Amino acid sequence: MSGFANALASAAVVVTVAAVVALWRRRLRSILLALVVQGVGLGAVATLLAVHERDAGLVVVAALVLGVKAVLIPALLARVASASPDARESDPLVNVPASLVIAGLLTLVAFVAARPIVAIVGGPSGRLVPLGLATVLIGFFMMVARRRALSQIVGLLLVDNGVALTAFLVTSGVPVIVELGSSLDILFGVVVLRVLFARLSAIGVRDLDQLASLHD
Amino acid sequence: MVFALFAAPLVAGLVALAAPWRRAVAWLGALAAGIVLALGIALAARVEASGPLNDGVLRVDALGAFMVIVIGAVSVLATVRSVSYLTDDVASGHSTRRHAARYSMLVQAFIATMLLAVVANNVGVLWVAIEATTVVTTFLVGHHRTPSALEASWKYIIICSVGIAIAFLGTVLVYLAGVHAHLASPLDLTTLVAHAGQLNAPVVRVAFTLLVLGYGTKAGLVPLFSWLPDAHGQAPAPVSALMSGVLLSVALSAILRLRVVAVGALGPTFPRVLVLVIGLATLVVAASMLLVQRDLKRMLAYSTMENMGIMTVAGAVGGPLALSGVLLHVLGHGLVKGVLFLDAGEVLRLEGTTRLGALGGLLARRPAVGGLFALGLAGLVGLPPFSLFLSELTMLRAEADAGLWWIAGDVLAVLAVVVAAMFAHARTMLLGPSDASTTSPVSFVVPLGLALGAAVWIGLVAWPLAHLIALAARVVA
Amino acid sequence: MNATRLVAGALQLALVVLGGPLLLGLMRRVRSRLEGRDGPRITQPWRDLVKLATKQRVRPTESSWIFGLAPLVVVATAGAVAVLAPLATLAPPLANSTDFVAVIFTLLVGSVVLALAALDTGTAFGGMGASRALTIGALVEPALLVAVLALSLPLHSTNLVAIVADGARHAPVLVGPSHLLALGSFVVVILAESGRLPVDNPSTHLELTMIFEALILEYSGPDLALVTLGESMRLVIWLGLFANLAAPWGVAASGAGGFALGAAVLVAKVAVLGVAVTVFEVTTAKLRLFRLPELLAGGFILAVFGVVTGAVMR
Repeated sequence: MSGFANALASAAVVVTVAAVVALWRRRLRSILLALVVQGVGLGAVATLLAVHERDAGLVVVAALVLGVKAVLIPALLARVASASPDARESDPLVNVPASLVIAGLLTLVAFVAARPIVAIVGGPSGRLVPLGLATVLIGFFMMVARRRALSQIVGLLLVDNGVALTAFLVTSGVPVIVELGSSLDILFGVVVLRVLFARLSAIGVRDLDQLASLHD
Repeated sequence: MVFALFAAPLVAGLVALAAPWRRAVAWLGALAAGIVLALGIALAARVEASGPLNDGVLRVDALGAFMVIVIGAVSVLATVRSVSYLTDDVASGHSTRRHAARYSMLVQAFIATMLLAVVANNVGVLWVAIEATTVVTTFLVGHHRTPSALEASWKYIIICSVGIAIAFLGTVLVYLAGVHAHLASPLDLTTLVAHAGQLNAPVVRVAFTLLVLGYGTKAGLVPLFSWLPDAHGQAPAPVSALMSGVLLSVALSAILRLRVVAVGALGPTFPRVLVLVIGLATLVVAASMLLVQRDLKRMLAYSTMENMGIMTVAGAVGGPLALSGVLLHVLGHGLVKGVLFLDAGEVLRLEGTTRLGALGGLLARRPAVGGLFALGLAGLVGLPPFSLFLSELTMLRAEADAGLWWIAGDVLAVLAVVVAAMFAHARTMLLGPSDASTTSPVSFVVPLGLALGAAVWIGLVAWPLAHLIALAARVVA
Repeated sequence: MNATRLVAGALQLALVVLGGPLLLGLMRRVRSRLEGRDGPRITQPWRDLVKLATKQRVRPTESSWIFGLAPLVVVATAGAVAVLAPLATLAPPLANSTDFVAVIFTLLVGSVVLALAALDTGTAFGGMGASRALTIGALVEPALLVAVLALSLPLHSTNLVAIVADGARHAPVLVGPSHLLALGSFVVVILAESGRLPVDNPSTHLELTMIFEALILEYSGPDLALVTLGESMRLVIWLGLFANLAAPWGVAASGAGGFALGAAVLVAKVAVLGVAVTVFEVTTAKLRLFRLPELLAGGFILAVFGVVTGAVMR
């Protein structure tokens, strides 16, 4: 296997394994660290593809991804975490070992679901598409299996990163304008979530179970 | 010319951001919405006369122009009412001038992002625009900053972000299919429609499913709809009117446009079955939730879901007739539902609650508010002479024409349940004795009355929109 | 099998037997230094063993033959692996059939027998220790199996000698994600299986937390000496296996000179890993017992992703 393929696979694996680590760890700080690592892995995937395809636009995208996903977004969330340094996911809805086993099963599901895509992409990147989908599924799972509002944001970001990884792998990234728009949207989305989180904290809401006043 | 659309909301939004909030700022927002409506009409005239307008990644075809008109019309209604809404809010100390200014700015941003979504001719830009509507409306939903409002906005942004992430995955796969087919510009909607036959079918199948699920989240379709009643229930009335009246339809129009690509690549069966199942499920869920509602605004929210379900089913059936019905319904529903939500806002302001049981005797107590509500409700359930009667009839006729009798039957049965439920709720709320009777200000009665009048006008004469709707329906038929 | 291979195996055994207690001594010494104490000499564990061997043997009255047999089994299984596994040489006896799974489960036999012996004493601590040890064992084994699967993917073979030899020839395999994930899982497994922090604290006799110490609480005299020796041999073997999977260089292919070099390299690798484990232990707190499944499930999932990646990349 070529060095490029090996490096690309390593970077993609970092993204997926970081998602698993986010599911594994309870301390919000460790979870945020996993998010940073995931952002770096994503940036590495973009950079590798940019170098391999000699695509200047993709270099811009890679820098953007690194800046937004590995630095800006974690920094925004880290300020929340530093307000309560010992914050941890103390009592998740699905306990950690079961979550990890489910993550493994979701990965298998991703392999099956990715078949038609793998078939037409091909090449060193096509084979890695299941890892992107697995990250998406793990993110979804984290959103439903964790109680903390911040964990839910992290789950959402895992989904976004998984989609971004899939995008890079299947098409070497969507055109720069779309990537720019989507990165900005996600950044604003996190800002909005962060403000909402602060407002919720101000009225004493930490766990999502406490959000149960609206129902039929 | 296409970019000019965004100028008015942009200017009004920037003014709201920069200048200290005054009544005039809110009026400026209404003026901007009026300009959008006027431009929409002008664009429609151009498109009818000389075909679609292209401008980079933007393109105004008949459907785009029609949607701009719908956005403009409902926005005018909502922004005009926002003036007195904000004035009352500031006067009563519920919100500060800064909050009012932020509200005015975000409403303009909201209008601008919806406009972008309907004139985007690029699947990626379309996605960016629809995602942006979520980001700008979150704070509008949570404007009141009560725990319930914050809860609603949290659910809103989280669930919609999930949906939109799914849609992005779908968009990426569409791009993949386009690249794989060696299209010159693989994200361009026109190109995709023209070369749909060359796209890889299995990939398009996955992509279309993801896109329907993703944009369906914003359109209030099953399965990710649970944000909808909460957000509509908690948002300020003009925002609920905008979301219910146009935002959901904008997302639906995106699905309709993408459906054309899917039909081209996969043949009619798969897209029809997928959209039909989702539409029918939405209808059933909404109707059963309507039966047990106790809250006015949530009842209206579920009614919106039910209407989206009707339109989705008709969209799945396809064909010019069904799509004409859908588009006519989008406009009529937008106006009528806008009126009803604004009316509900007035009810909340005057009565302090939207619990149906606590509102008994509304018609006697506040004849204008109650009367407008009764009229709006008559329009909503599709009584003639409102345009919703015509559009529902058209959609049912198209379903029957397509040989899908059982679907028309299902829809009719659900509609009967809905009408019964709504009338029962309305009776609880409107009828009953009351000792005092107060009048309502002209600034409340006139805009709402005009909007209802417009819905009747379209239903009776259809001029000047008939030709435009026929053209627009052909775009996505 | 020829004579050279037998000699190589015997030398490996001698190395492991001699080195085991020395490794314990080294780790205790490093730990003392890191904690600001001077600490005992490196040879202290050997002195303890010799002293214990001369003491009287005391066994619980209720215990059966299992209790007496267990120390022998621990030493014998560790000794068998020490002879057969590619630690210092790539040409141990039976090199063509040194199955990875067989090697690992031979080592695990020792753990199981020790847990049985602890149950056999009929004391509260013995039962508690056995239950804890078997819980950990049950969680460790799947992780180990999957990690072995991941490591055997590139060659389609679970022959341990072949895997180590292949790693030395094809360096890119070693930095491939599949290999790294499997090794990550291996680290968790080794810490759990050899009773180190954060799974078990080897220097505590606090009844609430001890696991391994609870297992061997009733042993005394020569029995205790054997158990301790066996455990230290197992630690050397785990670390040696890990070292040869992570950095399979310097393992002797043939010849006396080659073996001398291989032995020296092995000693260096194991010593470095021992120090690393100690440093890690000094900086970590023990996990609460009910949190252990999380750690071990993490090790398991790392191994699963190792296999997944290996499958993706082929």
